[in-house]
Amino acid sequence: MPQPVKGFKVDPKQLRIYGVVGSVVGIYLASILNSTLHTDMFSFLAALATIPAVVWGANAVRRVCAYGIGTGVPSIGMLALGMGVVAALFGLNISEQLGVGFLGVIIALIYSVIFGYVIGTIANKVIKFNIPIMEEGNFDLSGAGTMAILGWSFAISGSLSYNSIVTDVFNTGFLAIIFILGGLAILHPFNANLGPDEKQDRTLVNGIMVCGLAIVAVGLCSVLTLGLAPAMVTIVVGFAVWYYSYVWFFRLAKRDASAVVGTGLLPPSAL
Amino acid sequence: MNFDINTIVYMLEIIVGGLLVGIGVHFVPVGGAPAAMAQATGIGTGTVQLAAGSGLTGLLSAGLMMSVTHNLWPILATGAVGAMIMMDATMLTGTWIYAYAVGAPFASAKVTYDPVTGWSQPPYVAPGTVGQGIPTVCFVSGTIGAAMGGLGGAMIYYPLVLINHNPAQSAIFAIGIFMVDAVLASWNIQGTIEGFHDPKFKKWPGAFKACLISTVILAVVAVLITPITGGA
Repeated sequence: MPQPVKGFKVDPKQLRIYGVVGSVVGIYLASILNSTLHTDMFSFLAALATIPAVVWGANAVRRVCAYGIGTGVPSIGMLALGMGVVAALFGLNISEQLGVGFLGVIIALIYSVIFGYVIGTIANKVIKFNIPIMEEGNFDLSGAGTMAILGWSFAISGSLSYNSIVTDVFNTGFLAIIFILGGLAILHPFNANLGPDEKQDRTLVNGIMVCGLAIVAVGLCSVLTLGLAPAMVTIVVGFAVWYYSYVWFFRLAKRDASAVVGTGLLPPSAL
Repeated sequence: MNFDINTIVYMLEIIVGGLLVGIGVHFVPVGGAPAAMAQATGIGTGTVQLAAGSGLTGLLSAGLMMSVTHNLWPILATGAVGAMIMMDATMLTGTWIYAYAVGAPFASAKVTYDPVTGWSQPPYVAPGTVGQGIPTVCFVSGTIGAAMGGLGGAMIYYPLVLINHNPAQSAIFAIGIFMVDAVLASWNIQGTIEGFHDPKFKKWPGAFKACLISTVILAVVAVLITPITGGA
């Protein structure tokens, strides 16, 4: 008896708004709660805020890569994170130099989307890709990469101040983990699901799933910087996200498969 | 933040580094997925992975040298040599696999005679493929490409450390710039290239322009990031 599965279809414009609003609000909420209550317990909110960003980025990857870019899907995920690292550092630093430390996330986001748009224009005009949505796609990717890096960096450092992010995330080398995990969360969904029967909901749910795993890893990193209690909250939340989206993804995969047969290794009730 | 002649020199160094990375990618024999199945010439993985690998090794070795001296030339040389060692080790072990495990003769489908050894190529290209393995010319080309990549990485890393006095942050920032330039260059060659003898190599001015524009934007930002002291 097949159960009906919750599927969805979202317009890219709508997803962009969700991505921007979700990640910015999440990071600022975490920042406000952490600083007013003098605790690190709410750092997991910033890790959760990367989910809309990752979904936004994964959707941009599937739109751009559906045209075929010739270099493999991973290249575009690494490009997104490369732009994101630069933008995140710049936003946090320049806002504190100008004395408006609280606007760091917004400045990083604005710089990243402008830079992404320029990269997309270069790709079309100089390298002659002629992909009509290249500018838009890189705009989205760059913004998503930046917000993912900022969110996970916050989840490790527990504060938005430039100095604490540099000490806790850059000097410890955790940014390398964030870089690869963020790249995976943004590029892997389309890389794993591409093909003629690729469906938006299945790809994006896969993105949430990888994001959940990334939150668990970020939580493990934050044991060292924030202590056990806030880290455990992040790990448990990440695990919950992973489990929920894994089950959801499994159902969607079964929905799109022509047949599901067991090999005998798993009990029939697991299928 | 103070803007003086040094800032402009730093920016120029970062820009030249980015351009070296962008051009260096064109020398590396990137085969992509077909090469992994021994159906195309080159190393069987994507540009970004190769560029990241050689760039990171170059950065690590340059950083090691920078902990000893702040003289520019040994740092650049160490970065280039580190990247060359990494790329050569990759190509050498790849060669063993192609030769002893896959059993494919090394041949390039893009040229009739190997420009380095002068050996004939077409008789050894299996039907239905575009060459196999890593012929001598690709190996030489890959070594040059890795040297340029490592040199570029070190050239980005060196001014960044002088600006923000933080090796870890400079390394990550350099990787960011490195990724952007490497991906733009790999888009220019559409994912695969054999080396400097490949007809696609003539497309390098496109990557040069693209990397120039993007690195200028990144360099302006890079020199603005200075350490913040005291509570902010």
